[in-house]
Amino acid sequence: MEQKLRQEAKALLEQKRVDWIIGFTPGSLKFTTTPLITRDKADTERLVINPFITNNLANFLTEIKGRVGIVAKGCESRSIVSLIQDNKVAREDLVILAVPCPGIIDLAKIERLVGKDRDELDDVSRDGDKVSVKVDGKKKDFAAADVLFDHCLACELPTPQEYDIILGEPRPPAPDLKVSGQNIAELKALTPAERWASWENELSRCIRCYACRNVCPACFCQRCFVEETEPQWTLPMPQWQDNLIFQIIRNIHVAGRCTDCGECERVCPVNIPLRSLTREMYDTVDELFKFKSGMDKDALPLMAHYEQEEAEDFFK
Amino acid sequence: MAKKASKKDVAQLLKKWSQQFAVLAPSRESGVAAMAEWDGKDTSFLEWYRNTVVPPKASFLPPMEEMFRFHKDEEGYQIEPPSRNGQKQLVFGIRPCDARAMAILDMTFEDAYQDPYYLEKRKNAVLVGLGCTNPCQSCFCTSMGTSPTDPTDVDIMLIDIGDHFLIEEVTAKGKELLAKTGGLKEATKNDEAEAKKSRETAYNKVSRKLDTEGIKDKLLDSFDDEEFWSQTAAKCISCGICTLLCPTCYCFDINDEVVKGEGTRFRSWDSCGFPLYTKMPMENPRSEKWRRVRQKVCHKYEFYPMAFDVIACTGCGRCIRLCPVNWDITQVIESVPEKVKGAK
Ligand code: SF4
Ligand code: SF4
Ligand code: SF4
Ligand code: SF4
Repeated sequence: MEQKLRQEAKALLEQKRVDWIIGFTPGSLKFTTTPLITRDKADTERLVINPFITNNLANFLTEIKGRVGIVAKGCESRSIVSLIQDNKVAREDLVILAVPCPGIIDLAKIERLVGKDRDELDDVSRDGDKVSVKVDGKKKDFAAADVLFDHCLACELPTPQEYDIILGEPRPPAPDLKVSGQNIAELKALTPAERWASWENELSRCIRCYACRNVCPACFCQRCFVEETEPQWTLPMPQWQDNLIFQIIRNIHVAGRCTDCGECERVCPVNIPLRSLTREMYDTVDELFKFKSGMDKDALPLMAHYEQEEAEDFFK
Repeated sequence: MAKKASKKDVAQLLKKWSQQFAVLAPSRESGVAAMAEWDGKDTSFLEWYRNTVVPPKASFLPPMEEMFRFHKDEEGYQIEPPSRNGQKQLVFGIRPCDARAMAILDMTFEDAYQDPYYLEKRKNAVLVGLGCTNPCQSCFCTSMGTSPTDPTDVDIMLIDIGDHFLIEEVTAKGKELLAKTGGLKEATKNDEAEAKKSRETAYNKVSRKLDTEGIKDKLLDSFDDEEFWSQTAAKCISCGICTLLCPTCYCFDINDEVVKGEGTRFRSWDSCGFPLYTKMPMENPRSEKWRRVRQKVCHKYEFYPMAFDVIACTGCGRCIRLCPVNWDITQVIESVPEKVKGAK
């Protein structure tokens, strides 16, 4: 798969079909990758596909000028399609290199299972439904389902639908909503007062780094409402009430665009369980409007679309 | 002469100090480690592998801090100073990189100007350092003039010697506190030898190296190299992680919260990585991402050396391991181009 990707990417640059290639290359820490954004065909030799390709590369499309060849897992392809729907990128400017994705490994889950820091692991490798972890010279095997990101377990589109070149055999979707939705189910089981207290506790840690917003392909506003001063929707200080307003409004703004890629939760440096909000919104959008983001590039965006039967009485 | 204490007795020691100080120690909430008020029993942090996610600077320059309150009456605005608890902080278990970072912050908040909010807490505080035994793959302190067991910037230093800590009294403040504490055993020659070994082992485990030779001048020369900086900035998403959570970054924003003529002025962490940071009514000198990334790098590796003769990076590695895109400061510093002679 990797070899084919490198050849294709190189050819795209050589034939001047694209100006840029966006993909993944090994990161500077163990079990990490880092986005590679390049115009240099020699760099294509460094492209990789492995169980640690965490980022949602679609995020870079709105800032890069020119034609782009982009590596896309299922979730990325949906974010790309969503951006096309919103007229943020043009389909003809893209060459989508589709990666049928078996799910990405969540190192935090491995850390909890083996009781060690990721730095202390000697090796983490994936073979089909098994993930092997080598630590202190011993090998431990886990079911992939125990160590993949929650959003990967819930994935409805592991293989991009919209692509130009496919790298490998398509994978059928097999969402497991029970395990991946456990956090949300636990929250829903609380009383409203308990739930409020739980969010107060979580959001008190927020430092307003805005990584959750900046890493999100669906958050493409030139100027975010948190930065508005007239009117001031929320204060820029990290007090939990303002942090809550920030997350609630952000969620409403990405409704119908969020593809449950899980990036916001992954990057939060203080482990705020943001996916419990975004996935709940995703499901709510699906339930109320029968709309799944990023599935059909020719469909109107959720907010630009209206059907008689979805109207509140107020509008009728 | 150094003292020593059994690891089992650390809780006792902290209890004693709690009578006199607000004792802060590493603590975890939802997996996120930060310095927090010690709960009176837990010393599991002594075995932790990693440094805290939130740097100890947060105990001196909190993410959000009240500066004063104000209200309006017939005579105009009246100002009330913030309520201070005046309690002295004892920060236990600070790592050498973070203690060095405090010394670096002092240069701005004490030497360059006097910041009363910071100094009030800082001057009254005692720092008790905890030497690292297992540096992480992101640590590069030994390249930045400190080391996993460097006692320079703390008052009291603890070095792991098996089931005991060797306790070094570094400053007069530390010495005085230890004398008052009592109940500590004197370290033996053997303990000193163990500590030396422990130090060497930890030092040699720091595998990430950074050559900073001539970096100040290289950065000066490449200031206008847009090509280099754009490439360097390409994958950065302009979040605030690497600055807000850097132990030497100190920028803050000031905001008022006002309700019906009564209000509070707060300051809170800000970041040069945000476009809004330099936004002015007519223009923004750093609206492009590469200029902001350049600012972050240059402030640490060029401007701080110019102003204070020290690089404002201690190699704690937070920015490397917490960055959403693995933007690695050591790779960036190493890739700063040498100026080509004759080039403009
Ligand atoms: S809100 Fe979060 S999960 Fe949804 S698209 Fe944005 S980053 Fe991905
Ligand atoms: S990533 Fe986490 S800490 Fe940063 S702004 Fe978002 S919720 Fe807050
Ligand atoms: S943490 Fe990474 S992505 Fe965020 S501003 Fe720093 S370098 Fe950029
Ligand atoms: S720049 Fe990075 S490594 Fe250096 S002190 Fe700041 S967070 Fe630590």
